[in-house]
Amino acid sequence: MSETMNLVVPPSRRRIAGGQKTVRTRIGRAVLYILLIAAAAAMLTPFFWMIMSSLKDANSVFSVPVRWLPEVFVWQNYVDIWTRSDIVTWIRNTLILSVSVTLLQVITGSFAAYGFSRIRFPGRDALFLLYVATIAVPWQSYMIPQFIMLSNAGLTNTLWSIIFLQTFGAFGVFLMKQFYETIPEDLSEAGRLDGLSEYGIWWRIMVPLSVPAVASLSLLTFVNTWNDYLGPLIYLRDSSLWTMQLGLQNFVANLYDVDYGVLFAGLTISVLPIAVVFLLGQRFFVEGIATSGMKG
Amino acid sequence: MTVTSNAPRRATVPQAPTRKRRVSRLRIRNTLLGLSFIAPNFIGFATLTLVPVIVMFYMSLSNWNIFGTSTFIGLDNFTRLAGDGSFRRAFFNTLYYAGLHIPLTIVVSLSLAILLNNKLRGVAFFRTAAFFPYITSIVAIALVWNLLFSPDYGPVNEILRFFGLSNPPGWLTSPDWSMPAVVIVSTWRDMGYYMVLFLAGLQTVPRELHEAARVDGANVWQRFVNVTLPCLRPTMFFVVVILTINSFKIFDLILVMTRGGPGQSTTVISQFIYRKGFEENEFGYASAAAVVLFFLCIIVTIIQFLWNKRREI
Amino acid sequence: MNTRIIASAAALAAGTLVLASCGGSGGDADGSGDATTLSVAGWSVATTPEFQLLADGFEAQNEGVTVNIVDYDPSEYNTLLTADLAAGSGPDIITQKEVKFVTTFQEGGQLADVSDVSLPAGIGGAESYVVDGVTYATPYRQDAWVLFYNADLFDEAGVDTPDGTWTWDDYEEAARQIADNTDVNGTYQHSWQSVLQGFANAQSPGADLLSGEYGYFAPFYERVLRMQDDGLQESYNTVTANQLTYQGEFGRQRAAMLPMGTWFVATLISQQAAGEADDFTWGIAPIPQFDASTTGMDNTPVTFGDPTGFAVNAALEGEKAELAKKFLAYAASEEAAVALAEIGIMPAALSDAVVDAYFGSEGAPTDELSAFAVQTHDTKPENPTSNRTTAIQNILNDMHSAILSGSTDVDSAIAEAEQRVANEVAAD
Repeated sequence: MSETMNLVVPPSRRRIAGGQKTVRTRIGRAVLYILLIAAAAAMLTPFFWMIMSSLKDANSVFSVPVRWLPEVFVWQNYVDIWTRSDIVTWIRNTLILSVSVTLLQVITGSFAAYGFSRIRFPGRDALFLLYVATIAVPWQSYMIPQFIMLSNAGLTNTLWSIIFLQTFGAFGVFLMKQFYETIPEDLSEAGRLDGLSEYGIWWRIMVPLSVPAVASLSLLTFVNTWNDYLGPLIYLRDSSLWTMQLGLQNFVANLYDVDYGVLFAGLTISVLPIAVVFLLGQRFFVEGIATSGMKG
Repeated sequence: MTVTSNAPRRATVPQAPTRKRRVSRLRIRNTLLGLSFIAPNFIGFATLTLVPVIVMFYMSLSNWNIFGTSTFIGLDNFTRLAGDGSFRRAFFNTLYYAGLHIPLTIVVSLSLAILLNNKLRGVAFFRTAAFFPYITSIVAIALVWNLLFSPDYGPVNEILRFFGLSNPPGWLTSPDWSMPAVVIVSTWRDMGYYMVLFLAGLQTVPRELHEAARVDGANVWQRFVNVTLPCLRPTMFFVVVILTINSFKIFDLILVMTRGGPGQSTTVISQFIYRKGFEENEFGYASAAAVVLFFLCIIVTIIQFLWNKRREI
Repeated sequence: MNTRIIASAAALAAGTLVLASCGGSGGDADGSGDATTLSVAGWSVATTPEFQLLADGFEAQNEGVTVNIVDYDPSEYNTLLTADLAAGSGPDIITQKEVKFVTTFQEGGQLADVSDVSLPAGIGGAESYVVDGVTYATPYRQDAWVLFYNADLFDEAGVDTPDGTWTWDDYEEAARQIADNTDVNGTYQHSWQSVLQGFANAQSPGADLLSGEYGYFAPFYERVLRMQDDGLQESYNTVTANQLTYQGEFGRQRAAMLPMGTWFVATLISQQAAGEADDFTWGIAPIPQFDASTTGMDNTPVTFGDPTGFAVNAALEGEKAELAKKFLAYAASEEAAVALAEIGIMPAALSDAVVDAYFGSEGAPTDELSAFAVQTHDTKPENPTSNRTTAIQNILNDMHSAILSGSTDVDSAIAEAEQRVANEVAAD
């Protein structure tokens, strides 16, 4: 535990602490890495099992006792899913949805968050509570009224329906508002003195300072849209509009029986883009961004 | 405690001049300005979410069966819920789940975030690995954990037996252990998600404060309690609220892992709503259950909101 | 400020309600549409060829008529159909995938009266679609539960294959001998509640799902628990934990017997042809009986099964409604039945011609008992047509998992289910 906490402090600091500590630190670090690697293995186990299962034939995926590696590697599952399904269409649709929802959610969410966190007006807190409150309503209980509305508006069976549904949630507003509250007011005040409007302060000061929050909101929104199943299921009936999750489920359901080998091949393919997005996105969690301008 | 006073202060509006008319004009200006920021999101939100939610609230007072026809029946649905043994069971199961899942997830994901907020070799890999459970298909997760928890052949029990536990629990097949097993899996699945939120929050903790505290002789734990936690308060509030609501609404994971069984041991409110609405076609009654779930979440959220407000000052 | 927002939201909501209540008359299914085009709800059209087959057959009989199939997701079929019907954009022909949802659509006023559609004599499952003397749908397909067995494994164990005279005692005894003499399980029982409760409901004297008294389940559960404990079949806990599939367990010869619906015939044939299942000799026997009074090939064995049927959207009018009823009559006819049997589907109307067609495909068993098992049975409905069925089935499903997981003993689980049905399900 204490080693863990030591690491909160940058390495340069620790070196000052003296020679005898370096040995301990080094051992601690080795232990830490072993623990981290073990933890990472635990995290990745189901994914590993999924990849291995994607290389098995339909009736061998489940067996007693558990068999981790396939007896025969069935690469055919990947060939099947590439050649016999519209996976390219699905990936394209899912990308369109994920990217546009993420962009719109981040922009409108952080814009509204500025209104909620930096501008004081009557009814603000009540309005905000109303926002947050709707997160507490389970979707399946208002799904049908919502569907009837969008159906009457002629939006069902279009990608727009999913974009509208996913974009205007309270989640992004709430997250960005909480983050803005950590940014010192002095900075906006300085902006005001420089003649910036509130919109200018949002764009020039708040947005650049909230990169880590934008990164985490983008990652989570992207993943949620990418993996959403129920929304596309209810709204997108045309096979040309199907998303990855929907297409895969349908493809597998359309085999004679659930072929888990092929299903897992598809799921493996569908996870890879998110993993890449995450690997690229996580580097925006750079310590100290928000405070860089504070002391200056 | 000098440290905490340095933490970011509450946001304030520009100082209002003393004269009353100026005040009210500033008020109008601020209101319009605030609304202009909120409008792009709010208009979409109000039409797409708020309206259907209000319809649902009305439906909870009716015997709606989804096909247009509904009769107002007052609070009958709620009286029926109060006497419904299955609902009571689902209600307490939901509380049980949330009571275990919320604290566990906060501890694990915050520890992970602090650990992976360091400049370690391969930190990008470890962060991605921690996030993997969240992006791995829920179907695969349920299947694998079912295998791991398998009472006779599963690796979990093999390990327990190896450590001398002669009679390990039946996990998902035992009514006493099924809920803890679900909590283990959901915590494992969610920790990467909340870690991402905490990671963003940790970027707002000024390093200077840590160093100042070190100079003052604060140990690791004191620095965590007096520096990290106070600076993390807005993020913590967000995470706790979202986590609470999501825990009370738990649905998909239980559906794919246990379908509520064995018996009714893992049936939760969301599942009750789905059953009543989509399987038994009692949408009015299902809406009433959703309203109860809503108030459960809201009461807890308001308590957190007030607590957060008090701590803010 | 806040109150104003709520007030305007309420106004918007009121508008939605008006739209919602008008919804029923708009959309695809209104009478004013093209009277020569029918839309039929279906699922997994690529592997459920029956819809296209019936559509083609009907188009061939009626010149100028077009039948379009609306392809729904099979696992969420009823949810999606409900959403479409609620929004007034439902299909003309509402296919009834599960009998338990018939009353849902009927009570919601979505189904037209089709009592005047003429059906072949002796068609199975028609009574499942009658509510208060009015017919709301007609069957075209009816699967029944039979016993699949692996003749090679029986030979290996030196056990006689089923001869049509079996009661459940004989079944248990055969499973015991196979388990003793070979290294495979005697039988495989899938985790579904119907695999056990369906037989208990169909065969037990005086059994009634809607009665609220479930003591008759006890002997069936006790037998399965005994067979699990003795290792004659994979335990329920292993089946659910390891997500075993019945196709894999039987197809890969890990169990010598399998009580399953007749839909598995077509699957097994195709999986053997594709190499996904092992190559072995198999046959179909009547499902074991409660007692000897219904066994033997001179009797009619009792089993269960639900029909699949077509209903007409209540919003259709005039000529189009007549055309839709014509489609129902065609789908139930013997002509359509033979065509369905040829592609391995068990039609609701059974005749010798139909059975010949059914066993005509390559890889199908050719023995007399298999033909008897498929053709001759008294099929009781699995889900009685009542608005209480779904709620009761849900409670009995909880009971099923409680007993078979070993977490509650048989008698107290049954007592709890009886109490829940009494308290939670409206008395009608």
